[in-house]
This record gives sequence, C-alpha cells and structure tokens, in this order.
Amino acid sequence: MSGDPRYSEEVLRRFREASGAGDLPAGCAAVLGRAGDREQGAEVLLAFAVSDGRVTEARFRAFGCPHVMAVASWLTERLKGARRADLENWDWREAAAVLDIPAAKFGRLLTLQDAVRAAARNWPGEQRSTV
Amino acid sequence: MSNVIYLDNAATTAVDPRVMETMLECLSATGDYANPSATNHAPGRRARARVEQARTEVAALVGAAPEQVVWTSGATEADNLAILGAARFNRTRGRHLVTSRMEHPAVLDACRQLEREGFEVTYLKPGPGGIVEPSQVEQALRRDTLLVSLMHVNNEIGVAQDLGAVGRLCGERGVLFHVDAAQGAGKLAIDVVRDGIDLLSLTAHKLHGPKGVGALCIRREPRLGLVPLQFGGGQERGLRSGTLPTHQVAGMGAAYRIAADEMASDAERIRGLRELLWNSLRALPGVELNGDPERRVAGILSVSIDGVEGESLLCALPDLAVSSGSACASMTAEPSYVLRALGRSDRLAQSSLRLSLGRFSTRAEIETAAARIRHEVLRLRAIGLEASVAGGRL
Repeated sequence: MSGDPRYSEEVLRRFREASGAGDLPAGCAAVLGRAGDREQGAEVLLAFAVSDGRVTEARFRAFGCPHVMAVASWLTERLKGARRADLENWDWREAAAVLDIPAAKFGRLLTLQDAVRAAARNWPGEQRSTV
Repeated sequence: MSNVIYLDNAATTAVDPRVMETMLECLSATGDYANPSATNHAPGRRARARVEQARTEVAALVGAAPEQVVWTSGATEADNLAILGAARFNRTRGRHLVTSRMEHPAVLDACRQLEREGFEVTYLKPGPGGIVEPSQVEQALRRDTLLVSLMHVNNEIGVAQDLGAVGRLCGERGVLFHVDAAQGAGKLAIDVVRDGIDLLSLTAHKLHGPKGVGALCIRREPRLGLVPLQFGGGQERGLRSGTLPTHQVAGMGAAYRIAADEMASDAERIRGLRELLWNSLRALPGVELNGDPERRVAGILSVSIDGVEGESLLCALPDLAVSSGSACASMTAEPSYVLRALGRSDRLAQSSLRLSLGRFSTRAEIETAAARIRHEVLRLRAIGLEASVAGGRL
C-alpha cells in the first residue's frame, strides 16, 4: 500500500489514534472554545480543565479533514500547562510547522486558532462555561 | 493494490484479461503493430483490419454503423470535438447551446470556451434526484439553439437520463443532440437511432478497456459537419489527424464486444452487490442515497453520511479505493458541484462517498467494505461535536 503524500506520518498517527478526543470527566468544570461551521467543512470544540490559572487537562471534538483532527489532538497535549495569555496568543503556524501541514490546508488551521482563542475569552474570570 | 478493495470503477476500471490479450496481439514484433494507414503492405493491412473490426464492435454496442465511429484519445476529446466542432461548423445557423449543471468538466469547459467565442449556453438545473426532465430541455430550446448536450449516466451519482425523450425533442426541431456516454455505454442499453443521438462520446477505460482511447459516434444521414480540433495526416476522414494506436483501438473493440455479450449478466450481478452495500450502509442513521433510486446504472452508489467529513472517511479507509465529494479530498475550493446542483447542502456534499463497482467486484469485497465503512463512520461520529451534544462520551 503506497503512502499518501498529502499527510505527514504525525498527521496520520494522530488522526488514527485520536488521542485527546472526547469529553472531560463528567462534572468537571471546563473552559470551552468552539469555532467553525460544518457547512464550511471544519468545526472544533476544545475543552480545558483549568486550575491555578493553568490548563490541567484538555479534550477535543471535531468535524473536519484529517489535518483538523490531528491538530486538534496535538493541541490537547500542547496546551497542557498553558495560561490564558498563551491561548490568546497561540498561532496556527506552530501547528503547521510541527505537523507538516500542506499550504492548501492552512485555512482550516484558522478554525483551530479561533477555537483556542474562543477558549481564552471563556477563561475563568472572563466568562465561564461548563460542559 | 492487492490489499486494497477497489471500489472506484467510475474513475477507471481494470483492463479485462481478454482485452489485454487482444492488445498484446497488436504490440509485439510478430503481431499487428504496423501503422494502419500503411495499407500498401500486408502488416499495415492487418493492422487496418484490426482497427475496422474494432470500429464494428464499438458501433454494434450503440446501434450505429461502423463508418459513424471516429477514434479519439478518450471521451474528453470526443466531447470537445462534438461540442466545439459542431458549434463552430454551424455558427452561422445559431449561437445557443443547452446543457446541464451536472455534466462532466469536459462538456462544461467546452461550453465555457464557446461562451468566450460569443455563444450563449443555458445550464439546466437537475431535479433533486439528478434527473433533467425533457420538459426542461423543451423550455430551454430557442430558435437559434444549435445543440443540446446531456450525459447518459452521471459519473458521481450514477443517475441515467431519459435520452430518447430529449432526442425526439431535438430531432423535431432540427437541434443537434450530443450525449456523453462515458459512464453508461456497455452498462445500460443505448441506441443512437432509437434515442435520436447525433453525436455520442465514448471511452474504453470505464468498461474494462485501456485508457487513452475513445470514440465519437457521428450521425451520417443527413451528414453532420464538424470543424476538427487537430490537423495533420488527415486520418479518420480528416476529423481526427494522428496515427491510430492499433493496440488501444483493438482493446476498445474487445472491451465493447465483451460488454455487448455480458452487459445483462454483469448488470444483474453488480446491481445485487450494490444493493447489498446500500442495505448495509442505510442501516446507519443519517445515511442518504444521492440521486434517483430507480433510474441509475448498476455500479455506482453515492451516499451522503451525515456527521462525517468525506476526506476523513477516505483517510480512515486506506484499505478501500473509493472517492469523495469533499472539497478537501479533491483539494478544490468547493464541494462537489454535482451534489450541489442537486440541491444538497454543502454539509452533506462534504460528507459524500462514491462507491463504484465493476465486473471484478466480489461479494466478499463488498461485505468487507460495508463493515469497514460502518466501523469508521461510527468512530468518526463519536469524535464529532454532535456526540457531545447528545451526551456521548468516548
């Protein structure tokens, strides 16, 4: 079976394993960041457990192409320990470089950046959401 | 390829071993490899006989006379020769063409070229089932309409048009009728005389023949004029210059002869496999059939699977060779224009999957494919936002 040049190994691994997919434990207060629109081909929900001003746990749900799923999975690890300011300033280009995302998919990564920044706006003390 | 279940026969098919055998007879040093135009010597005459036999075989499948068949490099060239050639030849008679929004790009892009040359084109919107009603064609016809172009079977959804009714309309009004039968020939009955078709585009590789060869079947009585697209040695009565590829042409002839012999039995078996696949997939909630459920070719099943993005589904199924209407999968800016022409939302168009079966598809392959698709759909839906909304947890 020939490899598909559209996807890096890391994108394929994360897409198949989908680590970080799902919800935070039931009853756990969460900061949510949601962005995108299924009509446009990508929709992402990020859920962060926050303690002492830092992300302690993260989960994602997503509808989209393998690149969107893979970056969402990666974000659940990348943003552990992040502060609100880190979420506010997170830039999609980091994921593009780390996961070797093709230029044709850069627009999709903006949806993920929007979800991260939406979570920053919902940060405790700003505006709180719960699952 | 051996580990992959091939369900992309609408894109292209495996060459039938019997076709390969015929082609090989035209390639080797002891075979009929000579230039079929070199009829001054025996090898050339043998090659010419191969070409003419193939012409007879192709013509027979579509109810035409052999002299109506002009060889091309495929259906794309045949579409271009038919549409551009007929419009340019008849430009003093009229400047209007009619086609539909769900035609193959070979037709749509040829029409757009004619628009740049000053012609007007009416693009009919099919109904939700993908059918272009003859009454729509009738209403679109004008006094200056030169040509109507409709595909026999749509390549994405497999729906078949009522060619005979449109052919009669065109014939009564002296309007040329072109049909792109790349997907339908050899799978559903088509007859240029019965269906009133003036120009018929054909290809070999959708019918277990080789890639790189096709034909345009052109009405002879009354004679129909075309401006050629290419010039050179004057082959094919000056309509398509270039040395004929004897092995390709002979392969197309063999593929069409086999299809004529086996069309009914192939269609019945493939339809049964398609229904097996559809019944397995439709058991999942949120799975919809694209296109009219009755008026369709046996081998194409197009489904929209709500809650799953098409490219992700393809990526999750590396053991299946299928295609998607997703914009991401095709790296284009828009989801499938065919599904959108049917009125499908972008959301459902993004979530579409085309599974196309062929002569070599087996029941075991279909059962495996159905199980794999069901498994991955459920897995991807469990990751989606709606699972969360519904209270689902991984």
